[in-house]
Amino acid sequence: MTTHDSPASDYQPLLLPHPGRKQPVELAEYRAGGGYDALLKAVKQMTREQVIDEVKSSGLRGRGGAGFSAGKKWSFVPKGPGAKYLCVNADESEPGTFKDREIMEIEPHLLLEGVAITSYAIGATLAFIYIRGEYTVAADRLDAAIEEAKQAGLLGKHLFGTDYELDVLVYRGAGAYICGEETALLESLEGKRPMPRSRPPFPAVSGLYAKPTVINNVETIANVPHIIARGAAWYQTLGSAPNNTGPKILCLSGSVNRPGNYEIALGSISLRDLVYGERFGQGMLRGRALKAILPAGVSAPLIPADKLDARIDYDGIQAAGSMLGSASFIVLNEDVCIVKAALRMVEFFRHESCGKCTPCREGTGWLAQVLDRVEHGKGDAADLELLLSLADRISGKVLCALGDFATSPVVATIKHFRAEYLAHIELGRCPKPEWC
Amino acid sequence: MLSPATRQKITDEGQRYPEKRSALLPSLKLAQGEVGWLPREVVAEVADLLGLSHQAAIEITTFYTMLRKQDPGGCVVDVCIQLPCALRGAESVYRKIAEHLGADGRIEHGHGHAVARDGSATAVATVECFGSCHRAPMCRVNDEYWEHLDVNDLDKLLARIDELAANYRARGEAAVREGGQP
Ligand SMILES: Cc1cc2nc3c(=O)[nH]c(=O)nc-3n(C[C@H](O)[C@H](O)[C@H](O)COP(=O)(O)O)c2cc1C
Ligand code: SF4
Ligand code: FES
Repeated sequence: MTTHDSPASDYQPLLLPHPGRKQPVELAEYRAGGGYDALLKAVKQMTREQVIDEVKSSGLRGRGGAGFSAGKKWSFVPKGPGAKYLCVNADESEPGTFKDREIMEIEPHLLLEGVAITSYAIGATLAFIYIRGEYTVAADRLDAAIEEAKQAGLLGKHLFGTDYELDVLVYRGAGAYICGEETALLESLEGKRPMPRSRPPFPAVSGLYAKPTVINNVETIANVPHIIARGAAWYQTLGSAPNNTGPKILCLSGSVNRPGNYEIALGSISLRDLVYGERFGQGMLRGRALKAILPAGVSAPLIPADKLDARIDYDGIQAAGSMLGSASFIVLNEDVCIVKAALRMVEFFRHESCGKCTPCREGTGWLAQVLDRVEHGKGDAADLELLLSLADRISGKVLCALGDFATSPVVATIKHFRAEYLAHIELGRCPKPEWC
Repeated sequence: MLSPATRQKITDEGQRYPEKRSALLPSLKLAQGEVGWLPREVVAEVADLLGLSHQAAIEITTFYTMLRKQDPGGCVVDVCIQLPCALRGAESVYRKIAEHLGADGRIEHGHGHAVARDGSATAVATVECFGSCHRAPMCRVNDEYWEHLDVNDLDKLLARIDELAANYRARGEAAVREGGQP
């Protein structure tokens, strides 16, 4: 199949409005385009409840993975006095994901404006941006942008001349995927080993330093200025209400001609458009056939090639048997050994398991070990059932979703490509030992 | 062991957060920035500066991959071999780098560890993704991102690794001249 014209070509990106740009948008340029007007409107013309209501009725759902309503999450924070915190999740470590990086590197003020509006809405005077340690360029640019905004009176004390004040701190991690899990993130910020907490209590009630805390993904927060500037009704015209509203960045990687970040209105294109569209992936690398797509990094089931007509939104990807998650689309071509691919994904989870729950700590090791022997032609037919039963003993029996994520590469590849597993066992070796 | 400037920065970190313990991770990174890695004595010094237990600092140090428990030499080259990078030739890139260091480039169980014979540079093949999957294959040389790598044209990258390794050797020789430990 060749490339084709893709629909929705008149779409104006809102979260990444400068595709291809290398330098950050600085304060003067951001202000000239109407930047921080939404913050001004929020703090001068709206009550906290009005801001929360607007975001609630926009339909904005979390862009970090689980897709929970942002406005609803904010409304769980108790009103009244006492410290409250906003923690922006910028840990972005899901394989195949690089959208938050581009927001922070190129549009740091869009994020900061969202941080300020969100903090105002929940009554926080201190916000943290928890960023993975490897993203030093993004972190430095955020620090510079915070300084710029403070100098201009847009952050800090007497923000916009009101009596509201807000400080924003960039907190740099040190290489641990689990810190993206929201309660592990809080532990990390508190200077402890980042092991997830059991819930309840939920962070909105008792989070950072045991105070009410909202945790939202970078992209989620970057939506907020647009919602406040133009209203929930306008926002709902992007995508389809109630479940799939707003813009969404898709991270495209793997065996395609043009990998990258592509912003769409939710539901406006299909998986096929994303891979083959002129404005998107421009087809498969070397013209090879597509074997499967992972829609949420390595954490959700892969989608086989016969479901390429699925619409890209929360409901469309779910109907195709998976999850939109972080919208990180990894494209596999026909040359890839599926067992090798599953093994690499499981090795990730074995490496990143925090070790708190036995089924996850031990189970990810076992999954990797059995997959490894199948991949190297030393498995037998019983290994497939062994893999599935191991997966079953992890799934739903652990403290956080990492354990569940770890089982999906195994279960989904066996479901769709059982014959390829059996070929390894019959041949006594991997039929496609090379990666590419 | 730490310089007065770094000690001051760590003391300042201790004032930045609602609770002191939050300063541990940033402070350990400051210390590593000066020393190159985190020997036990340095971890203890950081804890003492913040008035926290050594155990608290050790717990953090041993958890995170970016906090180094061994001296890696002048640079750590992290080559991502997670799926999107693997699909674009990341393993061959890693093997070339390991070969350049004169070390074994084997990747087993999703992991490779190649150290130059004189300890002046380390290359690691890792399943961790660094958010450059659209510019694969890639690697990090300490904090620098090297993207869009081409396995047939790695000269610039290898020259950078050599430069950092040479700096490390020169520091060691200078220390010996001054009568200290290398
Ligand atoms: C193992 C694990 C890793 C995660 N990593 C991230 C991450 O890197 N970034 C992120 O925003 N959310 C991540 N999440 C989801 C967060 O726990 C949380 O749901 C999210 O930050 C909430 O923000 P949102 O509602 O705006 O999406 C992860 C979850 C798990 C279980
Ligand atoms: S499921 Fe795994 S990663 Fe999550 S808390 Fe348990 S051991 Fe840690
Ligand atoms: S998979 Fe290699 S950088 Fe993301």
